Amino acid sequence: MTHSDKKINSLTVTNEDTLGPYYPISLCDQDNMDMTKIRSGVVNEAQGKKIIIKGCVKDINGNHAHGCLLEFWQPNANGVYRTPITEASDKIDPWFTGYTRHRTSDGNFKLTTIKPGVDKDQESPRAPCITLTIFSDGITRVVTQLFFEGEPTNETDPLLLSLPKEMRERLMMKALTRTDDGTVVYNVEVRMAGDNETPFFDDLLS
Amino acid sequence: MTKYGRTLEIGPTDLTSEKRTPRKPLNMIPDEARASFVPYAPYTFNALPAEADMTRLAPGRPQADGEPIKITGRITDQYGRPIRRSLIEVWNANKYGRYTHIEDFSGLKLDPNFLGIGRMLTDDDGNYEFWTIRPGEYLAFPDISRWRPKHIHFSIRGGASRLITQMYFKDDPHNDRDPMRILMGDNFDANIGKEYEIEGDDFDCGYQFDIVIGGKNPTFFEDL
Repeated sequence: MTHSDKKINSLTVTNEDTLGPYYPISLCDQDNMDMTKIRSGVVNEAQGKKIIIKGCVKDINGNHAHGCLLEFWQPNANGVYRTPITEASDKIDPWFTGYTRHRTSDGNFKLTTIKPGVDKDQESPRAPCITLTIFSDGITRVVTQLFFEGEPTNETDPLLLSLPKEMRERLMMKALTRTDDGTVVYNVEVRMAGDNETPFFDDLLS
Repeated sequence: MTKYGRTLEIGPTDLTSEKRTPRKPLNMIPDEARASFVPYAPYTFNALPAEADMTRLAPGRPQADGEPIKITGRITDQYGRPIRRSLIEVWNANKYGRYTHIEDFSGLKLDPNFLGIGRMLTDDDGNYEFWTIRPGEYLAFPDISRWRPKHIHFSIRGGASRLITQMYFKDDPHNDRDPMRILMGDNFDANIGKEYEIEGDDFDCGYQFDIVIGGKNPTFFEDL
């Protein structure tokens, strides 16, 4: 999955830049914040337990970060990410892609999805989590992963274990309410900077 | 043990950057979790030929105000391998420095013949081309007299990972004070479109903007 580490003759990489405040909203028209349905007007749904995640992205002052482009990426109910490498696997759910994106005007988002599963066949099984990428004005891309509070597998997740304990807490989504039909609603606040800053990860150097 | 990567820098004189840049160093991703940070967008992208011509709203409509320019380039990974059939989204301000975006409250002049949004795919060799109007510079922060130099926004998508970047114009007097340009340092050249002449009267000139996507994230592009 990775390129060779040989850096000989490699080209100068184009610098990332900020998204700016004016990413065209119409380019997100096809985006879908209900990942349990990958195609409109079709009865088939993703396998797994349906959940709702309500979140907000805030700045250093606790104000909502307006105009962000958010990308979500997660494994299916079997804990498997859908990529060209895994596409033929028995554990792939053909009615779930695990990818979506959303442009938020006010920093809030509401994602309907299924709770990611745990793939026990992995050497170091990952706890259920959702990868969040934020593009915004004033800053280049930042990435993190959001976890489910109280999951037993959190105790052995390699990413969480790589962080100091007090930082792990900041990546937890908390189940606070249910909808009328019983769907659990998780809440999370992502702090881009400041005292309660969300831990972010370096996917360029890692 | 936590291992640290880059510490992101705050763009000088950029208030939004001050509010949104993480202060702590980024955490390195352990090997066991690395693959989970490479999203795969399962889309088959498409774009109409007319979406690459931003100089007018539709074929046959009047040309927008300002100087029409042609932008060409090739998208590759660090090893020079073409990034094929990826979707390029571009957006830029009109001649007067105004975006059609509903959240642009600058009050600068709108051009009824300019949308400022385009899309196109790279071909089998990673090449792309589109036509637009040379964007105007604009006063982004009047209280500190800071302008944004002329620039065109680029988003490259397809398979995994996306690059969000901007193409700048050489010799724009506002380049030197631009926060992101300052952070790019000596590597700013990589984000400048290289001007070339075009015969005929249709375009003022052309710009070649080759884009190199780095890191481990472009991997799945190869499978498209």
